[in-house]
Amino acid sequence: MENAKSATAEEDRILRDWTPRILRTILIVSSIILVIGIAATAAQVPGYYVRRFYAVKHGHVQGSEKFATLVAHMRHGDPRSIMTIGLYILTLVPLARVAFTFFLFLKERDYIFVAATAYVLAGLIFGVMLGRIG
Amino acid sequence: MLTIVAGLFTLAIGAGFVGALSGLGGGVFIVPGLVILAHVPMHIAVGASLISVVATSAGASVAFVRDGWTNLRVAMILECATVTGAVTGAYMAGAVSPPILEMIFALMMLQSAYFSLHKHGDEIQSHSDPLCARLGLGGKVLDDAGVMRPYGVVNLPGGAVLMVVAGVLSGLLGVGAGAVKVTAMDYLMKLPLKVSSATSNFMIGVTAGAGALVFLARGDIATVVAAPVALGVTAGALAGSRVLPHVNVGALRILFVVILLLIAIEMGWRALNGI
Repeated sequence: MENAKSATAEEDRILRDWTPRILRTILIVSSIILVIGIAATAAQVPGYYVRRFYAVKHGHVQGSEKFATLVAHMRHGDPRSIMTIGLYILTLVPLARVAFTFFLFLKERDYIFVAATAYVLAGLIFGVMLGRIG
Repeated sequence: MLTIVAGLFTLAIGAGFVGALSGLGGGVFIVPGLVILAHVPMHIAVGASLISVVATSAGASVAFVRDGWTNLRVAMILECATVTGAVTGAYMAGAVSPPILEMIFALMMLQSAYFSLHKHGDEIQSHSDPLCARLGLGGKVLDDAGVMRPYGVVNLPGGAVLMVVAGVLSGLLGVGAGAVKVTAMDYLMKLPLKVSSATSNFMIGVTAGAGALVFLARGDIATVVAAPVALGVTAGALAGSRVLPHVNVGALRILFVVILLLIAIEMGWRALNGI
Protein backbone atom coordinates (compact mmCIF):
# COMPACT_ATOMS: atom_id res chain seq x y z
CA MET A 1 0.00 0.00 0.00
CA GLU A 2 2.83 2.38 0.96
CA ASN A 3 4.71 1.44 -2.24
CA ALA A 4 1.63 2.19 -4.35
CA LYS A 5 1.25 5.59 -2.65
CA SER A 6 4.89 6.54 -3.21
CA ALA A 7 4.70 5.45 -6.88
CA THR A 8 1.64 7.68 -7.34
CA ALA A 9 3.45 10.59 -5.67
CA GLU A 10 6.46 10.06 -7.96
CA GLU A 11 4.21 9.98 -11.05
CA ASP A 12 2.58 13.17 -9.84
CA ARG A 13 5.94 14.89 -9.30
CA ILE A 14 7.20 13.97 -12.79
CA LEU A 15 3.92 15.08 -14.37
CA ARG A 16 3.96 18.44 -12.54
CA ASP A 17 7.59 18.95 -13.51
CA TRP A 18 7.41 18.04 -17.20
CA THR A 19 3.86 18.90 -18.28
CA PRO A 20 4.36 22.71 -18.07
CA ARG A 21 7.65 22.41 -20.02
CA ILE A 22 5.97 20.42 -22.81
CA LEU A 23 2.99 22.79 -22.98
CA ARG A 24 5.13 25.95 -22.97
CA THR A 25 7.66 24.72 -25.56
CA ILE A 26 5.06 23.67 -28.15
CA LEU A 27 3.03 26.84 -27.54
CA ILE A 28 6.09 29.05 -28.20
CA VAL A 29 7.16 27.11 -31.33
CA SER A 30 3.66 27.18 -32.84
CA SER A 31 3.23 30.89 -32.04
CA ILE A 32 6.51 31.73 -33.82
CA ILE A 33 5.42 29.74 -36.91
CA LEU A 34 2.00 31.48 -36.91
CA VAL A 35 3.66 34.92 -36.71
CA ILE A 36 5.98 33.95 -39.61
CA GLY A 37 2.93 32.77 -41.60
CA ILE A 38 1.03 36.03 -41.03
CA ALA A 39 4.16 38.07 -41.88
CA ALA A 40 4.63 35.99 -45.05
CA THR A 41 1.18 37.06 -46.32
CA ALA A 42 2.55 40.64 -46.52
CA ALA A 43 5.22 39.38 -48.94
CA GLN A 44 2.56 37.90 -51.24
CA VAL A 45 0.92 39.70 -54.14
CA PRO A 46 -1.08 42.75 -52.95
CA GLY A 47 -4.53 41.86 -51.63
CA TYR A 48 -3.72 38.17 -50.98
CA TYR A 49 -4.84 38.23 -47.34
CA VAL A 50 -7.87 40.47 -47.99
CA ARG A 51 -9.11 38.26 -50.85
CA ARG A 52 -8.75 35.15 -48.72
CA PHE A 53 -10.53 36.79 -45.79
CA TYR A 54 -13.52 37.84 -47.92
CA ALA A 55 -13.66 34.35 -49.45
CA VAL A 56 -13.83 32.96 -45.90
CA LYS A 57 -16.63 35.40 -45.04
CA HIS A 58 -18.59 33.86 -47.90
CA GLY A 59 -18.00 30.41 -46.45
CA HIS A 60 -15.13 29.29 -48.70
CA VAL A 61 -12.34 27.35 -46.99
CA GLN A 62 -9.42 25.58 -48.65
CA GLY A 63 -10.62 22.03 -47.99
CA SER A 64 -8.65 18.99 -46.92
CA GLU A 65 -5.00 18.67 -48.02
CA LYS A 66 -2.41 15.95 -47.57
CA PHE A 67 0.22 16.72 -44.95
CA ALA A 68 3.04 16.12 -47.47
CA THR A 69 1.48 18.71 -49.81
CA LEU A 70 1.28 21.24 -46.96
CA VAL A 71 4.96 20.69 -46.11
CA ALA A 72 5.98 21.03 -49.77
CA HIS A 73 4.04 24.30 -50.09
CA MET A 74 5.50 25.55 -46.82
CA ARG A 75 9.00 25.01 -48.18
CA HIS A 76 8.11 27.33 -51.06
CA GLY A 77 7.01 30.00 -48.58
CA ASP A 78 3.24 29.61 -49.06
CA PRO A 79 1.80 31.58 -46.09
CA ARG A 80 -1.40 29.55 -45.82
CA SER A 81 0.58 26.31 -45.57
CA ILE A 82 2.94 27.86 -42.99
CA MET A 83 -0.04 28.94 -40.87
CA THR A 84 -1.74 25.53 -41.25
CA ILE A 85 1.44 23.75 -40.09
CA GLY A 86 1.61 26.20 -37.14
CA LEU A 87 -1.99 25.32 -36.23
CA TYR A 88 -1.26 21.57 -36.50
CA ILE A 89 1.72 22.03 -34.16
CA LEU A 90 -0.53 23.92 -31.75
CA THR A 91 -2.94 20.98 -31.64
CA LEU A 92 0.08 18.80 -30.82
CA VAL A 93 0.07 20.41 -27.35
CA PRO A 94 -2.62 18.10 -25.94
CA LEU A 95 -1.46 15.14 -28.07
CA ALA A 96 2.13 15.41 -26.80
CA ARG A 97 0.97 15.84 -23.23
CA VAL A 98 -1.23 12.73 -23.37
CA ALA A 99 1.53 10.73 -25.11
CA PHE A 100 3.97 11.74 -22.37
CA THR A 101 1.62 10.62 -19.60
CA PHE A 102 0.93 7.35 -21.47
CA PHE A 103 4.64 6.43 -21.41
CA LEU A 104 5.00 7.60 -17.81
CA PHE A 105 2.11 5.38 -16.63
CA LEU A 106 3.54 2.52 -18.71
CA LYS A 107 6.91 2.93 -17.01
CA GLU A 108 5.21 2.95 -13.60
CA ARG A 109 3.02 -0.05 -14.62
CA ASP A 110 -0.12 1.83 -13.67
CA TYR A 111 -2.22 -0.11 -16.18
CA ILE A 112 -5.62 1.46 -15.55
CA PHE A 113 -4.16 4.87 -16.45
CA VAL A 114 -2.18 3.33 -19.34
CA ALA A 115 -5.53 2.18 -20.74
CA ALA A 116 -7.15 5.59 -20.11
CA THR A 117 -4.40 7.57 -21.83
CA ALA A 118 -4.23 5.03 -24.69
CA TYR A 119 -7.98 5.52 -25.20
CA VAL A 120 -7.56 9.33 -25.29
CA LEU A 121 -4.65 9.05 -27.77
CA ALA A 122 -6.69 6.69 -29.95
CA GLY A 123 -9.60 9.14 -29.78
CA LEU A 124 -7.41 12.02 -30.97
CA ILE A 125 -6.02 9.94 -33.86
CA PHE A 126 -9.53 8.69 -34.71
CA GLY A 127 -10.62 12.34 -34.86
CA VAL A 128 -8.02 13.03 -37.59
CA MET A 129 -9.19 9.97 -39.56
CA LEU A 130 -12.83 11.00 -39.16
CA GLY A 131 -11.99 14.52 -40.42
CA ARG A 132 -10.19 13.04 -43.46
CA ILE A 133 -13.22 11.05 -44.55
CA GLY A 134 -15.40 14.13 -44.15
CA MET B 1 -4.63 43.61 -44.72
CA LEU B 2 -3.29 45.27 -41.59
CA THR B 3 -6.75 46.54 -40.66
CA ILE B 4 -8.28 43.06 -40.83
CA VAL B 5 -5.40 41.37 -38.96
CA ALA B 6 -5.37 44.13 -36.32
CA GLY B 7 -9.19 43.91 -36.01
CA LEU B 8 -9.18 40.12 -35.54
CA PHE B 9 -6.21 40.34 -33.18
CA THR B 10 -7.87 43.03 -31.05
CA LEU B 11 -11.17 41.12 -30.95
CA ALA B 12 -9.29 37.99 -29.87
CA ILE B 13 -7.28 39.83 -27.18
CA GLY B 14 -10.55 41.17 -25.75
CA ALA B 15 -12.16 37.71 -25.82
CA GLY B 16 -9.14 36.08 -24.19
CA PHE B 17 -8.91 38.79 -21.54
CA VAL B 18 -12.60 38.66 -20.57
CA GLY B 19 -12.56 34.86 -20.82
CA ALA B 20 -9.67 34.65 -18.33
CA LEU B 21 -11.23 37.17 -15.92
CA SER B 22 -14.63 35.50 -15.98
CA GLY B 23 -13.16 31.98 -15.79
CA LEU B 24 -15.28 30.93 -18.79
CA GLY B 25 -12.43 30.80 -21.34
CA GLY B 26 -11.94 32.66 -24.61
CA GLY B 27 -14.15 30.45 -26.79
CA VAL B 28 -17.37 31.64 -25.17
CA PHE B 29 -16.60 35.18 -26.36
CA ILE B 30 -14.59 34.57 -29.56
CA VAL B 31 -17.33 32.64 -31.41
CA PRO B 32 -20.01 35.37 -31.00
CA GLY B 33 -17.31 38.02 -31.58
CA LEU B 34 -16.40 36.51 -34.95
CA VAL B 35 -20.04 35.82 -35.95
CA ILE B 36 -21.62 39.08 -34.79
CA LEU B 37 -18.79 41.61 -35.22
CA ALA B 38 -16.61 40.15 -37.99
CA HIS B 39 -19.52 38.49 -39.89
CA VAL B 40 -17.66 35.18 -40.17
CA PRO B 41 -19.90 32.11 -40.80
CA MET B 42 -20.69 30.10 -37.66
CA HIS B 43 -18.86 26.87 -38.62
CA ILE B 44 -15.66 28.80 -39.50
CA ALA B 45 -15.86 30.72 -36.21
CA VAL B 46 -16.22 27.39 -34.37
CA GLY B 47 -13.07 25.98 -36.03
CA ALA B 48 -11.00 29.11 -35.28
CA SER B 49 -12.26 29.15 -31.72
CA LEU B 50 -11.36 25.50 -31.07
CA ILE B 51 -7.76 26.24 -32.06
CA SER B 52 -7.64 29.29 -29.79
CA VAL B 53 -9.09 27.29 -26.87
CA VAL B 54 -6.20 24.79 -27.21
CA ALA B 55 -3.74 27.71 -27.02
CA THR B 56 -5.33 29.38 -24.00
CA SER B 57 -5.71 26.12 -22.09
CA ALA B 58 -2.01 25.32 -22.65
CA GLY B 59 -0.99 28.80 -21.46
CA ALA B 60 -3.28 28.96 -18.44
CA SER B 61 -2.85 25.41 -17.20
CA VAL B 62 0.95 25.71 -16.91
CA ALA B 63 0.71 27.68 -13.65
CA PHE B 64 -2.15 25.54 -12.25
CA VAL B 65 -0.23 22.27 -12.86
CA ARG B 66 3.04 23.67 -11.48
CA ASP B 67 1.33 24.96 -8.34
CA GLY B 68 -0.46 21.67 -7.67
CA TRP B 69 -4.10 22.81 -8.12
CA THR B 70 -4.79 20.42 -11.00
CA ASN B 71 -5.85 16.86 -10.16
CA LEU B 72 -4.02 15.13 -13.02
CA ARG B 73 -5.41 11.64 -12.35
CA VAL B 74 -9.02 12.85 -12.38
CA ALA B 75 -8.23 14.75 -15.60
CA MET B 76 -6.73 11.67 -17.31
CA ILE B 77 -9.76 9.50 -16.50
CA LEU B 78 -12.39 12.09 -17.44
CA GLU B 79 -10.61 12.98 -20.70
CA CYS B 80 -11.77 9.58 -22.02
CA ALA B 81 -15.32 10.94 -21.80
CA THR B 82 -14.62 14.48 -23.08
CA VAL B 83 -12.60 13.28 -26.10
CA THR B 84 -15.39 10.83 -27.06
CA GLY B 85 -17.88 13.70 -26.89
CA ALA B 86 -15.61 16.23 -28.65
CA VAL B 87 -14.87 14.01 -31.67
CA THR B 88 -18.61 13.25 -31.97
CA GLY B 89 -19.53 16.94 -31.62
CA ALA B 90 -16.93 18.15 -34.14
CA TYR B 91 -18.06 15.52 -36.65
CA MET B 92 -21.69 16.54 -36.14
CA ALA B 93 -20.78 20.24 -36.55
CA GLY B 94 -20.06 19.58 -40.23
CA ALA B 95 -23.66 18.47 -40.75
CA VAL B 96 -25.69 20.72 -38.39
CA SER B 97 -27.10 23.92 -39.91
CA PRO B 98 -25.77 27.29 -38.60
CA PRO B 99 -29.13 28.41 -37.09
CA ILE B 100 -29.29 25.24 -34.99
CA LEU B 101 -25.68 25.79 -33.84
CA GLU B 102 -26.52 29.42 -32.98
CA MET B 103 -29.56 28.35 -30.97
CA ILE B 104 -27.55 25.74 -29.01
CA PHE B 105 -24.88 28.41 -28.46
CA ALA B 106 -27.50 30.80 -27.08
CA LEU B 107 -28.71 28.12 -24.63
CA MET B 108 -25.10 27.41 -23.64
CA MET B 109 -24.65 31.13 -22.85
CA LEU B 110 -27.67 30.99 -20.55
CA GLN B 111 -26.14 27.99 -18.72
CA SER B 112 -22.84 29.89 -18.40
CA ALA B 113 -24.65 32.96 -17.03
CA TYR B 114 -26.47 30.78 -14.46
CA PHE B 115 -23.16 29.10 -13.56
CA SER B 116 -21.46 32.51 -13.07
CA LEU B 117 -24.16 33.57 -10.60
CA HIS B 118 -24.40 30.31 -8.66
CA LYS B 119 -20.86 29.20 -7.80
CA HIS B 120 -21.18 27.69 -4.33
CA GLY B 121 -18.73 27.42 -1.45
CA ASP B 122 -15.59 25.38 -1.31
CA GLU B 123 -16.72 22.40 0.81
CA ILE B 124 -14.29 19.50 1.05
CA GLN B 125 -15.37 15.84 0.75
CA SER B 126 -13.38 13.93 3.35
CA HIS B 127 -13.44 10.40 1.79
CA SER B 128 -13.54 8.92 -1.71
CA ASP B 129 -16.13 6.30 -2.69
CA PRO B 130 -14.70 2.78 -3.35
CA LEU B 131 -14.22 3.23 -7.14
CA CYS B 132 -12.45 6.60 -6.81
CA ALA B 133 -10.37 5.30 -3.90
CA ARG B 134 -9.34 2.28 -6.02
CA LEU B 135 -8.19 4.66 -8.77
CA GLY B 136 -6.38 6.93 -6.31
CA LEU B 137 -8.30 10.02 -7.44
CA GLY B 138 -8.22 11.89 -4.12
CA GLY B 139 -5.70 14.63 -3.44
CA LYS B 140 -4.67 17.46 -1.16
CA VAL B 141 -5.66 21.10 -1.29
CA LEU B 142 -4.94 24.26 0.69
CA ASP B 143 -8.06 25.31 2.58
CA ASP B 144 -9.06 28.91 3.39
CA ALA B 145 -6.94 28.80 6.54
CA GLY B 146 -3.84 27.90 4.51
CA VAL B 147 -3.75 24.33 5.85
CA MET B 148 -3.12 21.43 3.43
CA ARG B 149 -6.12 19.09 3.70
CA PRO B 150 -6.85 15.78 1.94
CA TYR B 151 -10.03 15.59 -0.15
CA GLY B 152 -11.99 12.69 -1.56
CA VAL B 153 -13.74 12.18 -4.89
CA VAL B 154 -17.11 10.47 -5.51
CA ASN B 155 -19.51 9.57 -8.35
CA LEU B 156 -17.07 9.08 -11.22
CA PRO B 157 -19.73 7.56 -13.54
CA GLY B 158 -22.07 10.57 -13.07
CA GLY B 159 -19.21 12.99 -13.74
CA ALA B 160 -18.15 11.05 -16.83
CA VAL B 161 -21.66 11.23 -18.35
CA LEU B 162 -21.70 15.02 -17.95
CA MET B 163 -18.17 15.15 -19.42
CA VAL B 164 -19.43 13.46 -22.61
CA VAL B 165 -22.03 16.24 -22.86
CA ALA B 166 -19.29 18.85 -22.27
CA GLY B 167 -17.21 17.26 -25.04
CA VAL B 168 -20.10 17.27 -27.54
CA LEU B 169 -20.78 20.96 -26.78
CA SER B 170 -17.07 21.77 -27.17
CA GLY B 171 -16.73 20.10 -30.57
CA LEU B 172 -20.08 21.42 -31.79
CA LEU B 173 -19.74 25.05 -30.63
CA GLY B 174 -15.98 25.68 -30.45
CA VAL B 175 -15.96 26.39 -26.71
CA GLY B 176 -14.08 24.78 -23.83
CA ALA B 177 -17.39 24.02 -22.04
CA GLY B 178 -15.59 24.80 -18.79
CA ALA B 179 -18.85 25.72 -17.04
CA VAL B 180 -20.22 22.20 -17.67
CA LYS B 181 -16.94 20.54 -16.67
CA VAL B 182 -16.68 22.48 -13.41
CA THR B 183 -20.34 21.71 -12.68
CA ALA B 184 -19.64 17.98 -13.14
CA MET B 185 -16.58 17.95 -10.88
CA ASP B 186 -17.85 20.41 -8.28
CA TYR B 187 -21.51 19.32 -7.89
CA LEU B 188 -21.40 15.63 -8.85
CA MET B 189 -17.88 14.51 -7.92
CA LYS B 190 -17.49 16.88 -4.94
CA LEU B 191 -14.02 18.10 -5.83
CA PRO B 192 -13.05 21.43 -4.20
CA LEU B 193 -14.03 24.36 -6.48
CA LYS B 194 -10.44 25.56 -7.03
CA VAL B 195 -9.34 22.02 -7.97
CA SER B 196 -12.38 21.65 -10.28
CA SER B 197 -11.55 24.94 -12.06
CA ALA B 198 -7.84 24.09 -12.49
CA THR B 199 -8.58 20.51 -13.62
CA SER B 200 -11.25 21.75 -16.04
CA ASN B 201 -8.77 24.22 -17.53
CA PHE B 202 -6.25 21.43 -18.02
CA MET B 203 -8.80 19.11 -19.67
CA ILE B 204 -10.16 21.82 -21.97
CA GLY B 205 -6.96 21.65 -24.08
CA VAL B 206 -7.40 17.96 -24.89
CA THR B 207 -11.16 18.34 -25.44
CA ALA B 208 -10.75 21.29 -27.81
CA GLY B 209 -7.70 19.64 -29.41
CA ALA B 210 -9.79 16.58 -30.31
CA GLY B 211 -12.40 18.82 -31.98
CA ALA B 212 -9.74 20.99 -33.66
CA LEU B 213 -8.05 17.94 -35.19
CA VAL B 214 -11.36 16.89 -36.81
CA PHE B 215 -11.80 20.43 -38.24
CA LEU B 216 -8.14 20.66 -39.40
CA ALA B 217 -8.17 17.23 -41.06
CA ARG B 218 -11.47 18.10 -42.76
CA GLY B 219 -9.93 21.36 -44.08
CA ASP B 220 -12.57 23.43 -42.27
CA ILE B 221 -10.11 25.78 -40.53
CA ALA B 222 -9.71 29.18 -42.21
CA THR B 223 -6.06 29.98 -41.49
CA VAL B 224 -6.43 33.72 -42.21
CA VAL B 225 -8.91 33.87 -39.32
CA ALA B 226 -7.58 31.15 -37.00
CA ALA B 227 -3.92 32.29 -36.93
CA PRO B 228 -4.41 35.90 -35.69
CA VAL B 229 -7.25 34.76 -33.42
CA ALA B 230 -5.11 32.05 -31.75
CA LEU B 231 -2.29 34.54 -31.13
CA GLY B 232 -4.66 37.25 -29.89
CA VAL B 233 -6.65 35.04 -27.54
CA THR B 234 -3.43 33.65 -26.04
CA ALA B 235 -2.09 37.17 -25.43
CA GLY B 236 -5.42 38.30 -23.97
CA ALA B 237 -5.68 35.24 -21.70
CA LEU B 238 -2.13 35.75 -20.41
CA ALA B 239 -2.89 39.42 -19.69
CA GLY B 240 -6.17 38.45 -18.01
CA SER B 241 -4.49 35.85 -15.77
CA ARG B 242 -1.89 38.47 -14.70
CA VAL B 243 -4.60 41.04 -13.87
CA LEU B 244 -6.91 38.49 -12.20
CA PRO B 245 -5.30 38.52 -8.72
CA HIS B 246 -5.58 42.33 -8.55
CA VAL B 247 -9.25 42.82 -9.47
CA ASN B 248 -12.47 42.24 -7.60
CA VAL B 249 -13.96 39.54 -9.84
CA GLY B 250 -17.11 39.42 -7.70
CA ALA B 251 -17.91 43.01 -8.67
CA LEU B 252 -17.36 42.19 -12.36
CA ARG B 253 -19.56 39.08 -12.24
CA ILE B 254 -22.77 41.02 -12.93
CA LEU B 255 -21.08 42.63 -15.95
CA PHE B 256 -20.05 39.19 -17.28
CA VAL B 257 -23.59 37.88 -16.79
CA VAL B 258 -25.03 40.88 -18.68
CA ILE B 259 -22.57 40.26 -21.55
CA LEU B 260 -23.50 36.55 -21.63
CA LEU B 261 -27.22 37.37 -21.68
CA LEU B 262 -26.75 39.91 -24.51
CA ILE B 263 -24.80 37.30 -26.51
CA ALA B 264 -27.54 34.72 -25.82
CA ILE B 265 -30.23 37.14 -27.06
CA GLU B 266 -28.28 38.09 -30.22
CA MET B 267 -27.35 34.48 -31.10
CA GLY B 268 -30.90 33.30 -30.36
CA TRP B 269 -32.33 36.08 -32.54
CA ARG B 270 -29.97 35.20 -35.41
CA ALA B 271 -30.96 31.53 -35.08
CA LEU B 272 -34.68 32.33 -35.20
CA ASN B 273 -34.17 34.55 -38.27
CA GLY B 274 -32.12 31.85 -39.98
CA ILE B 275 -34.52 28.95 -39.45
